[in-house]
This record gives sequence, C-alpha cells and structure tokens, in this order.
Amino acid sequence: MAEEKFTAIVVGAGPAGSTAAYVLAKGGHDVVLVERGTAPGSKNMYGGRMYSHALSRIMPGFWEEAPVERPIAQESITFLNGGQSVSINCRNMSWAADPYHSFTLLRAEFDAWLASKAEEAGALLACGIRVDELLMDGGKVIGIRAGEDEMLADVVVAADGVNSLLAQKAGWAKMFAPNQVATGVKQIIELPAETISQRFQLEGNNGAALLFVGDCSNGMQGGGFLYTNKSSISLGLVINVGELQRCQVKLCDIMEDFKSNPHIAPLIEGGEVAEYSAHLVPEAGLAMTPQLYGDGMLVAGDAAGFVLNLGYTVRGMDFAIASGEAAARTVIEAKARNDFSRRGLSRYVDLLNQSFVLRDLEAYRKAPEFLENERMFKAYPKLVTELASKLFTVDGAPPVHLMKMVLDRIKQSSISLIQLARDGWKGARNL
Amino acid sequence: MAGILVFAETREHTLELLNAGVNLARDLGTKLVSFALSNEFAREYISHGADEVLVLQPLAQDQPLESYVPVLAQVVREEDPDVFLVGATQRGKEIGARLASQLNTGLCSGCIGFEVDKEKNLLRMERLLFCGLAVQKVICTTRPQMAAISPRVFDPAPLVEGREGKVREISAMPFSPVTVISRTARAHEAVDITEAKIIVCVGRGFEKKEDVKLARDLADVLGGEVGCSRPIAEELRWLPEDVYMGISGKKVKPDLYIGVGVSGQIQHVTGIRDSKIIFAINRDESAPIFEAADYGIVGDLYQVVPILIEELKKALNK
Amino acid sequence: MLKILTCFKWVVDEADIRIDAGSRRLILDRVSYKINPYDRNGVEEAMHLQELHGAAVAAVTVAPPTAKSCLKDVLSRGPDKAYFINDPSFTDLEPSQTGAVLAAAIHGDIEFDLIICGEGSSDLYTQQVGPVLAEKLGISCATYVNKLTYIENENRIVAERKLDDGIEAVSIPLPALITVLPDINTPRIPSLKQVLGAAKKPVENITLDKLGQSFDPCLQTIGVLGSTMERRHLKFGAQPEEIGSLISALLKDGVIA
Repeated sequence: MAEEKFTAIVVGAGPAGSTAAYVLAKGGHDVVLVERGTAPGSKNMYGGRMYSHALSRIMPGFWEEAPVERPIAQESITFLNGGQSVSINCRNMSWAADPYHSFTLLRAEFDAWLASKAEEAGALLACGIRVDELLMDGGKVIGIRAGEDEMLADVVVAADGVNSLLAQKAGWAKMFAPNQVATGVKQIIELPAETISQRFQLEGNNGAALLFVGDCSNGMQGGGFLYTNKSSISLGLVINVGELQRCQVKLCDIMEDFKSNPHIAPLIEGGEVAEYSAHLVPEAGLAMTPQLYGDGMLVAGDAAGFVLNLGYTVRGMDFAIASGEAAARTVIEAKARNDFSRRGLSRYVDLLNQSFVLRDLEAYRKAPEFLENERMFKAYPKLVTELASKLFTVDGAPPVHLMKMVLDRIKQSSISLIQLARDGWKGARNL
Repeated sequence: MAGILVFAETREHTLELLNAGVNLARDLGTKLVSFALSNEFAREYISHGADEVLVLQPLAQDQPLESYVPVLAQVVREEDPDVFLVGATQRGKEIGARLASQLNTGLCSGCIGFEVDKEKNLLRMERLLFCGLAVQKVICTTRPQMAAISPRVFDPAPLVEGREGKVREISAMPFSPVTVISRTARAHEAVDITEAKIIVCVGRGFEKKEDVKLARDLADVLGGEVGCSRPIAEELRWLPEDVYMGISGKKVKPDLYIGVGVSGQIQHVTGIRDSKIIFAINRDESAPIFEAADYGIVGDLYQVVPILIEELKKALNK
Repeated sequence: MLKILTCFKWVVDEADIRIDAGSRRLILDRVSYKINPYDRNGVEEAMHLQELHGAAVAAVTVAPPTAKSCLKDVLSRGPDKAYFINDPSFTDLEPSQTGAVLAAAIHGDIEFDLIICGEGSSDLYTQQVGPVLAEKLGISCATYVNKLTYIENENRIVAERKLDDGIEAVSIPLPALITVLPDINTPRIPSLKQVLGAAKKPVENITLDKLGQSFDPCLQTIGVLGSTMERRHLKFGAQPEEIGSLISALLKDGVIA
C-alpha cells in the first residue's frame, strides 16, 4: 500500500470510536477504525444499560435495527442492611415507549453492530490489530504504528478505553491513583424471559434497572447493580480500587456474597452463570481527565475518563457516544480549514461543553468526592433500613410519633444530626 | 455378497479390528474377512476370528501403503461387503477416506465404538465432535458402511484354537503415482505414558524449560511419569512428542493426573478424561481445568509445587 | 507460475459452546466463528511457496452465505483472491459432500497445480476432505505433511509425512493435493495493512445452481450429546495445612501410596 494518508485513524472500536468513525464516514471522509480485539466489543464490558439520548441524536430510531435487549421501564435503588432492605421503585411507562429512555444491551453484539454501521458508512475496520505507538513529527501526532505497519492521518482519535495507551504515549495522561478508579465485576446469569418478566413484574419485553447500596460493598465505596436483559440478568458490583486495596478483600468473594445475599438470591434463583467479566471504571470525573486535544490527536470515551457515576445513575456509553460524535465533528471542521493543530482542534472542548459531556461532568464535579463519604455505604443504609423497619413494625410496643422515631434512630446510629444535615445538604447539591 | 471387511496397517491393529468384527459378523449373520499385507499373518488372522483372509501383493520399496487403494476398491466392488473397518493410523485414515470417495459411500472417521441394529443391518457408530466436547452418533445410508478405528480402541481378538478359514491371494497390483524416497523410523521414548499410574503434566504455566525439573521432582516423589500438553511438546519442544496428552496425542487412564500450569482446554482434557482422579494447580481461577478436576489449588505453581513435594515426602515417609 | 488453491473452513469456536446440564444438548446460541486453525497452517504454507517461487494463491471455501466474514479473514492472511462457494444448504456438511462440492466447482473451471488443505477441521476432525477431493479430481495426494518442497523444474513436490512409525518422504508429480500438519509452519498474524488490504482483493461467488448437481450425504447424524464428566470440583488453599489435607484425600482415594 502506498503511503496514503487518512483523514482520521480512530483507535478502539467501542462506542466512542465507532461513533467517531461513523460520523466521519457519513461526512464522506476516509477513516480507519482499528480494534485490538478479534471483534469490536470483545474486550468491552459495562454494567448493562445505555441511555438512548446520545445515540438517538446521531441515529434516530436506532432501536429498530440495533441489537438491544429490554427498554427500561423501572428504576430502583435498594439499601441493604443484613436481613433488612428498603427499596425505592420508580416506574414510568413513557420510558419504555418511543423515544425509549434507555436499553439494556449486550456489548459484544451491540459494539459489533455499531462498528458495522461505521463500516457500512464507509469506514475501514481492522480487527485483531493492536496499536503500539504514535507517530510523531516534532510534537505533532501524524499517525500510528501497529506491529511493523505505519499509517498516517491528519488526526488520530484515541478511543482506546480506560488506561489509554495512546494518551500515555502522548504524555497527556495523568497517572491515576487507585482511588480514582473502580473495578466492576459482572456475571451474566441466564433465566427464561418469562421468568424475568414475572419476577420483576414487567410487561412484555420491558426491563428493570436496580442499583444496590449497603452490604453489597462490605462498607467500601461502591455498589451493586442488576439489569434485566431479554433472557439473562446482568448482576455485578462496582467497588473503588483504593478501598479494595485498603481492605484487602478479594472481589470474587464479595461477588459471591452479593449473589447469596437474601435480598438478591431470590432474584437470580435457578439461573445459570453464562459469563464472568471484570473491567476498570474511571471514577474521578474531571479530576482525572487527561489532556483532551493537541496537535493531531483527540481523546474520547473512557480514554478521556468520560464516565459519570452519581450512585443513582451510572453513565458511560452515552458519554462515549457523544464524545465520539464531538471528536468527529471537530475533525470535519478542522479538515475544512486544514488546521489540525492544537488550536485547530480546540473546537473539541467547545463541542463537548455544548453537549452534555463536559457540561454534566462539570456540574457534578464534586460528586466523586461526596461519594467517598463512607457513611453512604454503611451507616446510612443501616439508618434507612432500620427506620423503615421500625415504621412498619406492629408488635404492641408503645406508640412513637414519626418525628421522635426518626430522631431516636438517628441518635442510636451515632451519626450526629448536624452531620446528617450536612451530608444531606451536600448530597442534594452535588449529586 | 455381504461380509465384514477389515484392513489395517499392522498385525496388532488387524487383531484389534478382528475383535471388533467378530461379534459384528455374528450379529449380521455374515462372514468376517481380513486383508493381510503378507501371507505370514494369514493363519494367525484366521485363528483370531477371520473366516477369510485376502493376501495382498507386496509393495515395492518405493511404494507407499496408499498404493493399495485401487486394489482394495476393486475387492470391495467384487465382494460387496456390508461393513468395511479400516485401521485409523495416519496412512489408514487416508486410505479409508479415498476408498469411501471412490466407492461413493460414507466413512465414520475416528469411530470410538458402535452398536448393531440387527434388523436393519445397520451400525450406529460413535465419534467425537469439537475436540471431544461432544459425542456424535451416525449411521451410514450407503454401502459399505465404513468406519475408521484408531489403535487400542479395541483389545486384540482372542486366539481360538482350531479355527478354519480360507486364504486367498489378491493378484491385482498396487499402484500409485506417489513414490517413497525415504523412511525414517521415529525414536521411541523409553517411557510409555499410557501405562503410567501417576502422571504429572507440564502446562504453559511453566516459564522455562529448566523448570520442568519441578514436575520431575514431583513425579519422582510419587513414582510417576512426566507428560505435557501439546504446545509443550510440539511448539516449545521441552518434552518429546511421545508424552503429550490430548485429542491428537496420547489418551491416558492413570489413577492420578496432576495438571501443573495446565489451562485445561478441551483438546487436552479429551486425552485425560478417563483418569481416576484429576488434580489441577493453576494460578487462574477461571481456567477450564478446574471444571474437569476433582481437586484444585488456585495458586502459583512455583510456590505450590515445592510445598506439595515437601508435604508428600512427609506423608509418604520419603 | 505455480497455481495454488488453499482450502479453508469457517468453524464454530468450540470455546463458546456450552452444554445444557440436563439434556446434554449443545448450546450454539452465542458462538463466534473462526478460520479452522489447521487451515491457517495450510494458507501459510501456500504463502510460503508464493514467497519462494512466485506462486498465485487463491483461497477456497464451501459455506453458507452468512459466513461472508470469513473472506476478509482469509484474505488478510495473504491469498490473492478467494472463491466463495456458497448456498444456504451448505451447513453441517459431511466430508463426502464438501469434497464433492469443491470438486464440482474446481474441475474444469479453476486452474491449479497444487491444492493445500489442513489435516482436518477443529469441529468435526474427520480428516477426510483432502483425500476425498483428491480422489474426485483424480489427482495424487499426500496427507500429514510437515515439510514441503517444490521442485520447480521437475513439476513435482517432495513432501515429508509425519506418520505413526516415523517420517516418510514422498515425491509427487503435480497436479497434487496435500494436507498439512500444524507443525509445518507458524501462521503469520495479519498486520494492519494486510487486514485493510483484504477488503480490496477479488472474491468470486460460486452458487449451487452454477454447480448444476445435488450433493447428498451418505452419513446421517442420529444424535449429538455433550460429553460430561462427573468430577468433585473440590478446592484447597495453597498453604501447607491445606495441601496436607489434599494429600490425605489422595491417600484415601488410594491413588498414591
């Protein structure tokens, strides 16, 4: 092959990379999409649910074609404390109708589909290829080297996931501390579709998304999740790595405990584990984002740390897709001006700010720090569950009015009222 | 004309196929006929169950065994047997496949056993699929029904004193445009791993060739032999090919198999599945070997094996 | 110029197959596919000959139309073009059928001097297609080859076959077919440029009606059952006491003394 130069080389065919390649190809630009795994998505893992808004902008009605599992009609948070639990369930029928709010999906199928859309649009997809180096000219990125092959491009889009090799090679990555990342572990547990629908009281092919906080993380910062796929359940935990190291626990042990937790076990009863996976999740938001653009390169998706975990929502895929789109539009505009310098690519941040990506990360900037509050993971779940238990218990004990019941519980929990108020105020403002 | 026809490359293998064929011939009410590569085996084959022996013309020095294909095909067309069993050595497999093609019939290769449907004169043959993950049962709707059977699937037929039978010479000359330039016998290892009662298996978890000594030490304490998985023999060449176990290697049935740093892929497990006890040491808890094991230790072999050797010495008073 | 056909099969990745515990049925729902590993060696050997002697190499496969992605894969490994003999009925073919289809497509239409096949396929491992195809085309064959040399001016090949009793070196006039063993070579890992280049190489589609005949099987599958093994799955820790307990268990089992 002659030394042809592509407009863009996108490294990583996950949601960020495939979206960038799709938008570029649709715009008539020659783009190569390089993926390390034998198939796109083979190295990817996530909790189990994607919010539709980001992809809907680019591919309206994508659900007609895309391999999605169930549209989520029910959201819930459950506080776990031994034999007690409190759940807040929220159903909204409009979530499970056009324009579907969110879907559970299986990454191997979905990522492969999204990459195939990029290919259909004209992107060249190369799988089973690991990019080893960036090609630099002075301080400018001019291409990549994979094995013995070198390839030139106006812009390299680094969408190569958490722990981005390319961001490191460019010297843009910040070393992250263990407490800035979490490990997510997940099992796909197979159950018949009707069993799932019945167990979670779902109509038709509707789905449920459940988040858990309390016992499941053994007092460490993190939580559990359960998402219903068509005929399987994605069950897992996300635990802060710094905490794991501090407490010296084995994640697989906590996962087994979670599965046998009395509130969880009935939900997965009779199911067969079909897959077991684990992956790193960026947690620190803006505090850990690398340099996002420079001469000849942009960083998107998990590689850019674009994940937002507020405890009650966990978002990665929509950020990845939106940042991929922003990267593509940046390259298209830069191409028009033939300026791929840092200044020429600075549009990237503007686009990210205009879309929800940087806007939301900025808005929730203090959330990661707030969620380090250890009371969130033990004391408060305990308080909530014991309070609710007391509320619903009728056993002939003397009557207590609500106010006193609450204050008594708080006093017993050894959390001061002031602390509670402060936490509540901070939480309400930062989450 | 009917009959069960048998062809194998060696005398031992022919005796095994005769064993397979004897009951079959009785069940189908037909004769058992064996090919012989030399007259010297004819009597012996008859004493071990053949009703008839067809002696083939000797091969010239530079003729490969497959030169018999046209001869065998012609005999089949004349004899019209119900069943043709071929000994599945490498050469036998090529011969079987080419014969089946010439005769427009089906061949069940890698046949590990069969049952007879006496009414329909049909063989229900079994073979492995997906490197041993599954067992497939097939029947052949054309004639002759052909099966290729590996060595040592059947025991050799017993000697029956005073058996009578016919010996006939096949005059057709073997032919092939392929000529043999040389034959180099393989060096046989002193150890027959298929006879070992205790086997320590070296897997990819070992980092360098010198570390195989660790497996040897363990085997020595137990009075066992050292074997390996295919890559150790074929790719790394740390151990001879004679001792690799798996679907394309040796099938073993020891009392105790210890897989050290063995991942346990199906290709390997198929070779060891008949072990009485399977014990695995691997540092990856999700390694498939643990699914196939009675006892497992998740740990670094470089730490576990020395401790195991020490504890064994104590327990066995060595 | 030497013309080489290299045959390959698109097979289920056996690592993805699961067995239903109750019925022992094979579950093939979410399996991925791959080039038969043995055929990778065949393709590599063809490329080796191209590098040494300047041969033309074409890849050939028999598959259902849904297996299209196999073409990019095989072409990224070096062949100049691919023949895709496809029909929806070409699933679960037995070797007599595959050989017959290949022969029907090749005979008279595709020129060749040498056909290279893998010794078998990782799914069925019948090790028949090579020899069957050779018979149907009326050409010589040599199986289980682990070393191949092309004698250019004599239009023949010398093949070393690794057999049960040792190495047999044979000389075969072309046209001929060989089946190769995994230890004949180490298949290359396609590079980025090779992967991208694959999309540009020509593919010729050959459909069933072009072949003008039917291909009936001789064998009939009457059952497939997943192999199961009853094993205890007991885990022990790596500390001396635990290892001691394991040893006691082995003594009790009577397998060590």
